[in-house]
Amino acid sequence: MGGTGNFILDFINWLLTFETKDLILAGSAIGIGAAMIAGIGPGIGQGYAAGKAAEAVGKTPENSRQITFVMLLGAAVAETSGILALVIALILLFSNPLITVTGVGLIISASAIGAGLSMIGGIGPAIGQGYAAGKATEAVGKRPNYQSTIVRTMILGQAVAQTTGIYSLIIAIILMFANPFLT
Amino acid sequence: MNIEMTLTLFGNEIFIPSTIINSWIIVILLSIFAIVVNRKLKKVNAAEKPSGLINVIEMSVEGVQSLVKSTMGDKNLGFVPYIGTLAIYLAVANLFGLLGFKPPTSDYNVPLALALITFFMTQYYGIKSKGLGGYTKSFFEPIPFLAPLNVIGELANPVSLSFRLFGNILSGVIIMGLLYGALGWIAPIVTPALHVYFDLFAGLIQTFIFIMLTMVFVSMAME
Repeated sequence: MGGTGNFILDFINWLLTFETKDLILAGSAIGIGAAMIAGIGPGIGQGYAAGKAAEAVGKTPENSRQITFVMLLGAAVAETSGILALVIALILLFSNPLITVTGVGLIISASAIGAGLSMIGGIGPAIGQGYAAGKATEAVGKRPNYQSTIVRTMILGQAVAQTTGIYSLIIAIILMFANPFLT
Repeated sequence: MNIEMTLTLFGNEIFIPSTIINSWIIVILLSIFAIVVNRKLKKVNAAEKPSGLINVIEMSVEGVQSLVKSTMGDKNLGFVPYIGTLAIYLAVANLFGLLGFKPPTSDYNVPLALALITFFMTQYYGIKSKGLGGYTKSFFEPIPFLAPLNVIGELANPVSLSFRLFGNILSGVIIMGLLYGALGWIAPIVTPALHVYFDLFAGLIQTFIFIMLTMVFVSMAME
């Protein structure tokens, strides 16, 4: 136990030997990479939607145009989390607001990592939205006459499922632009 | 194109960002459009088949009416003017990025104001249709123990509603801005397809989501 504590102390002391700006840049780099982990979500969700679409087209090939339309629409909405993560990563890369901030280097650096990490929360909404898209695709394959009603319900549900991903975005933006730890 | 202003009023400098000015441009354009349509509508003979612009207007009004009818029920058709106004303003505001302006919805003030209108409408119609007692009681359901969670859930609605619109539009603005900066003169070859996704698709989908959620929140409060 004592050995571990010493190791953490040594590590933090070692970190503090670097200059503030270098620490922030290193933290931003980790944050950028971590934010893109959120891409797992859209991948799984859209894959599910595509699978369901293939299944539906296999059953009712005559509805393939409508099925493809609903799949693309649902998959595009499921992409949102990935795009929000990309935006946070791009902000950290090209117009990083934390570089010009004055304060304790370790906290600013950890804020950059935290902003990236929080975007991982986007995995959940993306998988859920993809699932909704898949089910809607299946439903349109069975009852193409109800396409507009099905699409409306799907988009509404996907919008509500996005909520926790939006909260991730809020926290990431607060950490970057209005960080309360740095006053 | 970004127009910014600094007004001096009673010795205080007031900064007016481009999003406010763009918002005013949209309001003026929509008002002129409304006056033109109104003039045309008065000349129309009701017995004839509608044509041209009037046809498009009638279709969109009927579209909003059927959307409100199917989401909120027959007795709530009084919400059609508000929902229609919201839809037209949001659609034009979100698509304003295509003309090279900064969309007003990428300024958090605009989505927040619209979400607060929805929030206060929800509370007002909740109290109006259930009475103050029934409205208060709805927070203690299904069990009184959940009251704090219900209150937090109610307060979280305008936050998520406004940030959903803001986040989606702002992400488009940021990505397109970075692309134009990075690509330089070859940007016009690459960006049209991305404009279709970030401005056209995201803008229209977010408009639809915003008006649908507004209708759902208000009609749920009234049930």
